[in-house]
Amino acid sequence: MELTISLVVNGLMLGSLYAMVSVGLTLIFGITKVINFAHGEFMMVGMLLAYVITSYLGVHPYLTLIFIIPLLFVLGVLVQKFLIEPLKDSDEHIQIFATVGLSIAMINLVLMIAGSNNFNTPASGMRHTLSLGPATVLTGQVVIMMCSIFMVGGLHLFLSRSQTGRAIRATAQNRNAAQLMGVHVSRINMVTFGIGIACVGIAAVLLSPLYPVNAQTGQSFVLIAFVIVVMGGLGSITGAFIAALIIGLVDSFAGFYLGSSLKDVAVFGIFLSVLIFRPSGLFGNARKLAHVS
Amino acid sequence: MNKKHKFRRTVINSVFAAALLGGISVPTIADVKFGALYPLSGGLALLGEESFRGLELAVDQINKNGGVQGETVVLETGDAVDNNQAIGEARRLISQEDVKAIFGTYSSSRSIAASQVAEMSKVPYFELGAVADDVTDRGLDYVFRTNPTAYHMAKGIIDMLANDIALELNVDSTELRIGLIHEDSNYGSSVAKHQRAFAEQEGLNIVMEEHYPASIVDMSSIILLLKNKEVDVVLQTSYQDDSVLFLRQANERNYKPKAIIGGGGGYSMTPTAEAVGRDVIDGVYNVDFTQYNINPDIAPGIDDFVATYESKYQEAPRSGHSLMNYVGALGLLRAIDAGSGFSADEIKEAVLAMDVPIGKTAAGIGIKIGKNNQNERASMMGMQWQDGELVTVYPKDASVAEMRTNQ
Repeated sequence: MELTISLVVNGLMLGSLYAMVSVGLTLIFGITKVINFAHGEFMMVGMLLAYVITSYLGVHPYLTLIFIIPLLFVLGVLVQKFLIEPLKDSDEHIQIFATVGLSIAMINLVLMIAGSNNFNTPASGMRHTLSLGPATVLTGQVVIMMCSIFMVGGLHLFLSRSQTGRAIRATAQNRNAAQLMGVHVSRINMVTFGIGIACVGIAAVLLSPLYPVNAQTGQSFVLIAFVIVVMGGLGSITGAFIAALIIGLVDSFAGFYLGSSLKDVAVFGIFLSVLIFRPSGLFGNARKLAHVS
Repeated sequence: MNKKHKFRRTVINSVFAAALLGGISVPTIADVKFGALYPLSGGLALLGEESFRGLELAVDQINKNGGVQGETVVLETGDAVDNNQAIGEARRLISQEDVKAIFGTYSSSRSIAASQVAEMSKVPYFELGAVADDVTDRGLDYVFRTNPTAYHMAKGIIDMLANDIALELNVDSTELRIGLIHEDSNYGSSVAKHQRAFAEQEGLNIVMEEHYPASIVDMSSIILLLKNKEVDVVLQTSYQDDSVLFLRQANERNYKPKAIIGGGGGYSMTPTAEAVGRDVIDGVYNVDFTQYNINPDIAPGIDDFVATYESKYQEAPRSGHSLMNYVGALGLLRAIDAGSGFSADEIKEAVLAMDVPIGKTAAGIGIKIGKNNQNERASMMGMQWQDGELVTVYPKDASVAEMRTNQ
């Protein structure tokens, strides 16, 4: 029983971390229909910025959110405006290659400036252990769990209640119709890309006291984030959250009972079965996929 | 029209001929060119460059003492950013720069790729730092390796555990419950393979083995497993990120085995100690290339090496890679100096005649090229983190401190 509790807690903590990273990707994927292969690299940049600001100003890592959220939002807007938008009429593959190129460029730029060293943001109390019955968690993990819930809830409210949110959803459902209704589609795409990247910025800041960062850090998280986005139903934020928790739990249990080497077989096995039995993902629906873009 | 063509062709031909003759008639300058192939940019650049510095220092020293066979050694560098570029750069060094031999490479996969090219062109390839078995296990004629390998790492770990650590813990080594965890690339897997074999020879009890991708972000399941299987001694072969992750998570989940023995890279570096905290890493063992806190009696010249290094690069050596590359390169260059020419077979003959006893180099190893062109006098040292310093504790004659247990 104790073991099961430990495994469940570990799984949920890992799941919320994955959720944090995937939410922004879901938004971009679901709305602008761009597969952003550079998502992990934006996270890496966010983590590096958190490290730099924390080390030079000596502030708590979480305070860096004040700089990093707007900065990454602007970065996202710029990428959409100058990289994705000019390619909007070309083949989808070209956009994919553009984001792959961006990812490689970002990794190598960081390697050029900072080298291949690891940078450790000071833990600042976020690595304190808390006992939840037999399980042990870190304060930073609990914060990530709570923030991921707030983030999903907040985005949900934003998309369903605010004017911009409705415009974003309208664009996702039918770009042409939205345009006819007076929605400035390319501006909406820029805002969406910006919000998506800002979300991964939040994830980066919350992760930074827990994980060292180097030029390749983004790569460790991005594959699983794609799995979560697809499993959750391409663009469904709640779906991505649930999928992330499932993947976290499967990871934790499979890691223990099957071993680390077979863990990925379980994770991707679940992923494949979801795709076979619900091809549009857990929370996706056919209408969304069949939109005219 | 036709005449014009003929005339033009004649002119072109004569220009070519002149260029060709000019090329041949240039008097040979008293230089001998060797290639230096390392990852000097990209993800492996830090230790790639650190390794290259060792070679550079060896060349400086040789040139200061009159060069090789009376000729000044010139290094032509190639940047092995990835396997494809390693191959491309090896080709360039051989066909355009006309190097007599290539030194490298730090990364095993780059080394395996590039040495194949050198072998086909019959240019000797000297590996000074890559550890995978396959570098020398492919039966190639002109690929030589001076550094210790995955085999030596596993041997060092199991020997140190069965002999000294068990004694220090005051238990019979066969009673210890051992857990192997390693990253799943060629490096981790080949060390683990040798660890299993040596453990069997010593009658040690391996109760679990787990491998994981080096990019792993959570090791809590592995730690739960280690706890559940009541593992006393953890052997981890890893890079830096996964070493930090394991040490941190084990500490946070209050898992305190009797001993943790790391293999290589991640465990030797000061940034790892800083990341996990000096108190957490205290007492952790590591087996790796020779590091700098070692008894200078068995590593003659190590102090001079450090002094020269610091005066040239204005900083302390960042890892033992430069030392291992320096020792290998120095031995090889001296051997080539004693040889009779720079053809592949003359170099091979000279290198095979090399006979440096153990304890006579700055890294404490000896050099004698044996089976598969691998240095049979190579070995790794056992270290322990004590009060924030990585000190050599094994073997006894190399040690500068006593082993400590946290029991």
